[in-house]
Amino acid sequence: MQKTIAKPSSLRHLNKLRWLILTLVFSILVLLPFIHLYQTYVAAHAYDLLLPNEKIIYDAMEWLTEPFVSNPERDLDLVKGTTWSGTLFGLRLSDPLAVLSQIATSLSLYWPFILTALIPVVATIILGRFFCGWICPATFIYELNDTLAAWMRRAGVPLGDKVYDKRIKYIILAGGLVLSMLLGSIMTAAIYPPAIIGRELYYVIAQGAFGSGAVFFILTILFDLLVARRGFCRYLCPGGALYSLLGRYRLLRIQRVVEQCNDCKKCNVVCEFGLDPLEDGFGQECNNCTACIAVCPTDALKFKIQTYDQTFQGPGHLGHAYRNQQSGTSK
Amino acid sequence: MKRREFLQSLTAAAALLAVSPHLVAKNQSSFRFLRPPGALDEDEFLRNCIRCGKCGEICPNRTIKFFSTENGTDSVDTPYIVPREQACILCMKCGDVCPTGAIKSIPREMNAILENVEMGTARVDRSLCLSWQGKTCGVCYRACPLQDVAIRIGRLEQPHVLKDCVGCGLCERSCIQIPQAIRIIPNRSLSKSA
Repeated sequence: MQKTIAKPSSLRHLNKLRWLILTLVFSILVLLPFIHLYQTYVAAHAYDLLLPNEKIIYDAMEWLTEPFVSNPERDLDLVKGTTWSGTLFGLRLSDPLAVLSQIATSLSLYWPFILTALIPVVATIILGRFFCGWICPATFIYELNDTLAAWMRRAGVPLGDKVYDKRIKYIILAGGLVLSMLLGSIMTAAIYPPAIIGRELYYVIAQGAFGSGAVFFILTILFDLLVARRGFCRYLCPGGALYSLLGRYRLLRIQRVVEQCNDCKKCNVVCEFGLDPLEDGFGQECNNCTACIAVCPTDALKFKIQTYDQTFQGPGHLGHAYRNQQSGTSK
Repeated sequence: MKRREFLQSLTAAAALLAVSPHLVAKNQSSFRFLRPPGALDEDEFLRNCIRCGKCGEICPNRTIKFFSTENGTDSVDTPYIVPREQACILCMKCGDVCPTGAIKSIPREMNAILENVEMGTARVDRSLCLSWQGKTCGVCYRACPLQDVAIRIGRLEQPHVLKDCVGCGLCERSCIQIPQAIRIIPNRSLSKSA
């Protein structure tokens, strides 16, 4: 009997929207240092004394921001900082890891800062580890890196695809916090790629040279490329660990609709975090990135609002295993 | 590795980490730098600064720079000022934008600045200073944003630093002598408790 296959749903396009947001966040992080330079040029009141390349920056930024601001020195201060801690149109937002590290290191509660993580924390409790897939500027580079790795594999370059224990990152989170507390200096900031990227982009554009974080970040890229696919995010990232813990009982979950699944396993292959959608293995580390939804040929993956994962529902009803099983029982 | 050996090495590592800030403090480089205006005492500053870089990004004078590894691992990516390269204009924007209060938010008024900003104190080297050598100069006095409060001039424009100097470094930046005859002695090292 031929079962009807659902028509492609609009949820498939969420992955494109996600890429749009990732690109947007990354380009804002590139743009902000240039805006900072423009502001300093304006503050200096000396356009004629600028070097030719500085004049290009001045003119470009003036052209870009003129429609929105009357006083660039003051008005452009509304958007500052990075995803680690930033000001977005006057609203201060911080990474929960930044807040947790600051509490652990200073051993005190500074409420004006803690409250800046309120919106991200609430959003993570509802949406899960969405930061990792939808906003993180490091994910932007890591996913491009992953695409590069796929091309290289196709071209026959042997790349490592090791699998480690995903719980390593929780140890790194705890270790990083304890180390920060003992050293009296926030160490998690130095090993957290999104924080590094924001800083390093600012250093290289506005201060003229990369800092030490760039070396660390290049090492993580090489680790991802040569040792383990998306290895840093999957096994090592302390921020990802914290987001996973916060999103453990998230409301919005991608779940498998067993009636429409044909066991093709594309979801497992595409999953950036090495999860197991095919056997309902989403867990706390799913970041709702929707890559599996986009790739599923039979639209068997849907969003559901519930605080727990379904237990393994057996093989998909459109697949061979289920058909054989059915014919076996009917005999 | 046996469990006992593992635990022993773990305790040793923890002990080493616990004393390492003191080791670092003792072996600190002689590199002379200031923290941004209104920064907490060095220990507290390092405990609170989350290395977001917003103070540098808001600084209209491009005064604030960031450490790489040259000042030890505990101050990687923290902001610093070298007044001879670019001095602080006391706009107080960095304190406003600092999310954790590692740099205090201070209103841009003279009394508040005098009370809360202690980056350092200027010191004149009279053997280098042109005015003290009889060649009337007075550039440092004219560069000072707190004239007659932080610095006063006497005969032949000879500079006298007063005790209210906040250490912004504009005098050091503007000194026409090479090497500079007036420089900021950072306050940071005095308040370091370690």
